[in-house]
Order: sequence, then C-alpha cells, then structure tokens
Amino acid sequence: MKRLTAFLPKKIAISPPVAAVILAVVLFLLSGLLPNGYGSNVSIAIAQATNITRLSVFLGVIAAGQTLVIISGGEGIDLSVGAVVTLSAIIAYVIINGQDGMLLPGLLAALAVGAAIGLLNGIGVAYLRIAPLVMTLGMSGVVTGLILVAQHGNVSGAVSPLMTRVIARPWFFGIPGAIIIWILFGLLMWLLIERTTFGKNLFAIGSNRTTARLSGVHVTGMVVATYALAGLLSGLGGFLVLGNTGVVFIAMGNSFLFPSIAAVAVGGTLLSGGKGSYFGTMAGALVLTLITSLLTTMQMPDSVRQMVLGGTLLVLISIYGRQRGFRQ
Amino acid sequence: MSVSLSARNVVKRYGGVVALSDANLDVHSGEVVALIGANGSGKSTLSKIINGVVVLDGGQLLLDDKPVHFSSPQTAKQMGIATVFQELSLIPQMTVSENIWLTREPLRGGLVDHKNVRLRTEELVALFEGTHKFSLHPDSTVDALPPDEKQIIEVLKALSSDPRLIILDEATASLDSRQVQRLFELVASWKQQGKAVVFVSHRMEEIFRIADRFSVLRNGKTVGAGLMKEITERELVGLMVEKATATSVVQRQRQVLKKNGDQKIRLEVHDLRTDLLKGVDLQLRDGELLGIGGLKGQGQRDLLLALFGDLPYTGSVVVSGEAVHFKLPRQAIEKGIALVPGERAKEGLLYIRSILENLMLPSWAKFGIPLHIGKARQAASEVSNELQLIMAGLEEPVSSLSGGNAQKVVIGKWLLRNPKLLLLDDPTKGVDVGTKAEFYRLLARLCDNGTAILFYSSDDEELLGLCDRVLVMHDGVIRSELSGESLTKSNLIAASLGASNASLHEDPSSAAGHTYERRDADESSTAAPGPAGAGETDPPSESME
Repeated sequence: MKRLTAFLPKKIAISPPVAAVILAVVLFLLSGLLPNGYGSNVSIAIAQATNITRLSVFLGVIAAGQTLVIISGGEGIDLSVGAVVTLSAIIAYVIINGQDGMLLPGLLAALAVGAAIGLLNGIGVAYLRIAPLVMTLGMSGVVTGLILVAQHGNVSGAVSPLMTRVIARPWFFGIPGAIIIWILFGLLMWLLIERTTFGKNLFAIGSNRTTARLSGVHVTGMVVATYALAGLLSGLGGFLVLGNTGVVFIAMGNSFLFPSIAAVAVGGTLLSGGKGSYFGTMAGALVLTLITSLLTTMQMPDSVRQMVLGGTLLVLISIYGRQRGFRQ
Repeated sequence: MSVSLSARNVVKRYGGVVALSDANLDVHSGEVVALIGANGSGKSTLSKIINGVVVLDGGQLLLDDKPVHFSSPQTAKQMGIATVFQELSLIPQMTVSENIWLTREPLRGGLVDHKNVRLRTEELVALFEGTHKFSLHPDSTVDALPPDEKQIIEVLKALSSDPRLIILDEATASLDSRQVQRLFELVASWKQQGKAVVFVSHRMEEIFRIADRFSVLRNGKTVGAGLMKEITERELVGLMVEKATATSVVQRQRQVLKKNGDQKIRLEVHDLRTDLLKGVDLQLRDGELLGIGGLKGQGQRDLLLALFGDLPYTGSVVVSGEAVHFKLPRQAIEKGIALVPGERAKEGLLYIRSILENLMLPSWAKFGIPLHIGKARQAASEVSNELQLIMAGLEEPVSSLSGGNAQKVVIGKWLLRNPKLLLLDDPTKGVDVGTKAEFYRLLARLCDNGTAILFYSSDDEELLGLCDRVLVMHDGVIRSELSGESLTKSNLIAASLGASNASLHEDPSSAAGHTYERRDADESSTAAPGPAGAGETDPPSESME
C-alpha cells in the first residue's frame, strides 16, 4: 500500500468545495453543446447561469442549517427542514397579507417559528437523548400535522409587492436580489463558523464531545443552540421561497429535504461531523440545482433525474473519501 | 483430571519495549500459584501468553510436558485453559446465559437448546447463591448488572467450559468480601478436582489466603518463586522492588520538600465520595507537586474527574479558599483548574482538527467577536515554542503528530490559561523518553511558578523522582501518605498492595517513620533532616535473591 501511494500526490490540493464549483462550471459549459443549449450566444449563457444561481439560493439557504447540524456530529441531521420551510412560509404569507408594512413582522414570525421548532429538536436530542434522526423525523410529522390543521381553515394571504421585488427581481446590473442576499448570507455564515467561539465549539463537539466537554465547552447547550439556529435558518429559507413563488402549498418545503442533505455532502462536509464549511454547501447547492435544471432542459423524465442526482452524489462522496485516505 | 503448565524463559517485545525478558511459571494440578509483581512488571503479558491472547517471541510453553503453541485464545481454550478477565469480556446487550455460552451454545438439531442452556446457567449461578441480589438471573441483561455481578458472570463463563487451568486475573478486584469468600471456596473445590489455578492479584491478604506457591516478576523477569508458607509479606515486597534504581530516566528535578508550608493552600478535599471513592481527604499547596500512586483502577481517575467537575460526587472541595461543587468541567476551568486526561485521543484531542484549534479550544472566548485569529495564532505559536512542539505548522491536523507531541498539545492548551491547579492523569503514558524528560522539566518549572499540581502516575519511578509527597490509593481511599524518608520504592509498592502507614513503620530503614503520619508539611522542617543511615532506602529483604 505504501509503495502504491508513493507514486500518487501526497495531498490532492483541490478541496471539496472547489471541486464542486469546478464540476458545476464544466457541466454548465458542456450544457451549451446540447441541441437546445445556449450555443455561442454569450448573453443567453449569462442569463441562464444567473437563473440557475438564483434557483440555487433557496436550496443553499435551507441547507445552511443542515450544514450546522451535520457539523455538530453525534449523528446529527435535521429531517424537519421541509416541514419547517412550509410552515414558516405559510405563517409569513398569512401575516404579510399583501402589505409591505407587515414584511418585517412576517419575516420575524417565520424566523421565530423555525427557531422554536429547532429548539424543541435540540432539547429532544440533547436532554432527552433521542437520536437526531428520530427526533427531527417525529418533529417533521408534528409540524406537517399543524400545517394540515392550518390549511383546513383555508389559508388566505398574499405576498407583498416589496417582497417580490427584493427577492425575485434584479437589484442592479440584472443581478437578482436573491443572489446578493445569498452572498451576504454566505459571508455571515463564514463569520459564524470560522470566526466565532460558537463556530469553533461547533467543530469541537462535532469531532469529539468528550474532549470538548473536558475543555470547557457546554456540549448540551451547544447542541440545543445549533438545532435552534438550524430551525431559524429553515424559517428564513421558507420566507425566501415564499418570496420567489408568491404562493403557498402544503408540500412546498418537502422537495428541499433530501437535496439539503445532499448539498452538504457534496460540499465536502463530513457526515460524521467535525469538519465542513458553508462555502462547500453553497457549491453543493449550485451543483445539484444545475444538474436538475439541465436534465429538465433535456426533457429527461423525473426517474432519470433522480438517478443522475443520486449517482453524482455517490461518485463525489467516494472521491472525497479517497482523498482523506491519501492524507493519512 | 491432571494438568501441568510451564512457561520457560518467555520473551515478549512490543516494538522496542521489552515486556518480558525471562519469565517463568510452573503450575500443576491441584495447586494455586500466585503471580506477583509491581505495575508494569509483566504479569498481564505473561497471563495473556498463557491464555493465547498474545503470542510469545521467545522461550517455550509446555502443557503436560509437551511444547505447545497457542496461535489464538481459542486454541488455548480447547486445551482447557480459561481466563477470568478483569477487563470484562462480556457483551452488555446480551443476557447472562447468552454471554456465558457464547460460541459454545449447547445445540439440539442445529438450533440452540434453550432449555438446556437455561438449566446449566442456573446450575452455574447457583454456585454464587446468596452472595448476590436477585438481579443475577439467566435472562437478565448484563448491562443492567452491578460490577460485582458482572465479575461473577466472568467467573461462571470461564467455568462453563470445564477448564483444567484457570487464570484469575485480578478477578477479586470488584467483588465484596462475601463473594471473594465464595470464590475461594470454589477455588478450593477446583483444587480437589485436580484443576490448576494461576492467581494474579494485588491484594496481599488474598494471596496469602489462597495461594500455595508464588512467582514474582520484576521488569519482565522472574526473580523468585517458592512456597507461600516459607515467605513473609515483607520478603515478597522486597522481591518485587528493584534494588538499584540507578539507570532511571527520572532525575530528581527539584529540591525535595521546599518550604511549602508558607504557601497558600490551593485545594482542600474532605470525604470525597463517588461510586469508586470511599472518602478521600487531601490538601495541596501552591507550588507543590503532589503525587498519587497505587495500582491501576483504585479510584485515581475518579478523584481527578470529580475534582474537575466531570463526575458527580459528595463531600467538600475547597479551591483557593472557596467552597465549590462543580457540576461541569467549564466551572472548574473558570476557577483555574486544568485536567490532562488519561486517554489522550479519546478525551484530550480533537483528532481531525488543527493544532491551532486544539490549543485554543478552552481559550477562544478571550479572542473576541469576530475572533482575532492573528492573535490566537501568535499565542499558539508561543506555547508551541515553549513546549518545543515538533510540527509542520499550526494548521496541520493533530493526527499528524507523534504521541509525545500530541500530548504536548493537550498540556499546551492549558498553559495558555495559566492554571492555578493542574490535574494530571498518567500524562506520560505512551510518551517517548525524550519527551518525558522535557515534560518533567516543564512540571518543575510550573511548580516553581506556584502552580499546584496533582499528579497521578502509573510509573512509580516518576512519583519517586518528581513528587514532594505521594498519596497511595487503594480501593477508593488514600491508604498511606509517603514523603521525605518514607518515600521509597519499597514503601510505595507495599502501600500499593494495601499496607497502611502503620505497617510501613516496620520498615527498619525508615527510622524517621513517624513523619509520614503528619498531614502538615511545615512540621516536617524539624523531622525531615532524618537520623543517620536513613538515606535511600533499600528493600529490606535480600534472602530470596
């Protein structure tokens, strides 16, 4: 084994997020060669790229909470994101009800509902020691039930004009507001993970909870805070999705659940926790959205799309695993 | 049934470390042989060679006078050799009967014969009837049982294969006196049936009660063997102790018994109790390096973890004159306490994270929001220079470091906080000699700067060479306190085996015997200049050499 690896580079320099971005760019360039692709028309190409990036924003923001939960380790995963996205969108929809003045209360309510559900998840995981998979799956069921009850009374509401303008329309140079929001959001996430005690402690509890505890980290507090924050970010995701679609429906968040986990994995975050980045997740969200929209453009049936997405995930993860092997 | 087993000139090396250089053991039908030795003398290696867990590098094993080679524990088991392990080999999720018969389940028509299993398990459990609570039932899950009952199941499991030779490796450590009594009655009946028993124990009293012959190991060499009735406890201890400890890595780094008396009391513990600790009292002054000795697993780890707030306890703890009761390590850390835990990889390091993050883990909060990474890196590189950390860079993962360097990181993260009280849980375990020497100098420097250090070590030489005072733990209590003239290797070993201060008085070479009963160090200034000839104590007995 030693002799074999001696001929290979000691450390593959490309980190997972960069690899994912390169993959996305290559895929996009290749897509121009498709029969109904953009061909040699640069302005159409740019418009397409912008649109795909804009679509990635919603998955990207929803996957941010997932990133935190997965980094926190302890088999951490949040299966309630889909339900939280739907519920917070519905609540914002009802509160805003077409008035620009109610935009902020609507946003705060969406965030608060998400945070509250996340807090319950965290308490269940940290104090009642329920496995995250079970806890968040159960919570997803409960929230879905709440949504059904709410929908029963026939939800009435509307998004406000300002909300649509901010999220769905371009701000300047034709760059949609969602993308600008995402870039700012990405910087804030980087600050949170890499430049705060919270972030450092998050990696610590993800890699070894005993060491973390014996080094003065309040492990249970960290776990609760992480799940609560993840819920809050799902609430933000729900708000943004609402701004894009302008309507609510019962299953609107469901389609984000598995992609949110896949985006984290494609971004190179260790599913066992302790290592990862939000930039990776952003790149992952881009790759997944790009593949989906390319396959849609190619008029592939849903079955093929699912297979290609699943296959891409497997190939990427196995490559990442191999890289780690080389380093040791 | 007859059996005889001999180990002749057994050699075993682990990498460069020689665990056994010339170990010998003879055991025959109908007798109990006690295998005795200090920490790290090679007792467990030798018993592992006999039961096939470890393969020997040199020498010979003779079973019934024929050379044998045990390539695996199964081979040894088939030859009729069974071991009662101290480190329990039970599967927690399985029931008592499943554990006992694992891999040897009685079958009927290819399926496990549950009726038979149950019957035979009940027969076995009945052997210990009356000494355990009702929970020891064939169908109870092992996980739910108290330690003593788990140990009983270990005994029953070994017994279930009807072995000819039984190795009891510290099998009495977690049993109460009634259970020990029953076990010894069983041992007597095994002797009558012609079984042979190897008894590995640290409890002198039990060795004298049950063994017919003894074999003493010292530094991997058998240094004495004979009949129990022809030797005294003191002579045995003498055999276990090396006479000249000239070539020791540890050199006394500091002037012994500096004037600690006028230093402030940093830590005062009274009647500390946990599951394992049965009332510990101690007092530690600033600038003092207080050693904790004793055999492994006598509660030393519990003591350190309880003081650090990681283990629930009762009793009173006073830190820096303030009564405290920590429920979380972070509370202890805020009071200036630091712990270097016993399992480096599992408890001390974030293996996949960088050296920088490992060093900074307890200190991030000092670097503001957003974190001032430049400052943190500077602080980390100062500490790593001070510790002479050999690394490719602060961003490299800790997993890239050697054992000694990784341990420096564990210590380094506390140095950044200037701890007032440092708790060390066997910190030099698995650390190379060069790093050990650096580490000793570091401890001396910390003490000189006024840090109070509580230092548990499984290496007796370290305690002798570094500490002003050593508290020897046995069975959850501090059995004796050694300092000054009484701090000798033979006293340390005798105390480890459960001898109290009173019996150490008999040591003729420690004429200044009364000094180790006092608890206050400043009284020692009058007693310490000891009587002539008290000097370095040699083991009292040379008769067996």
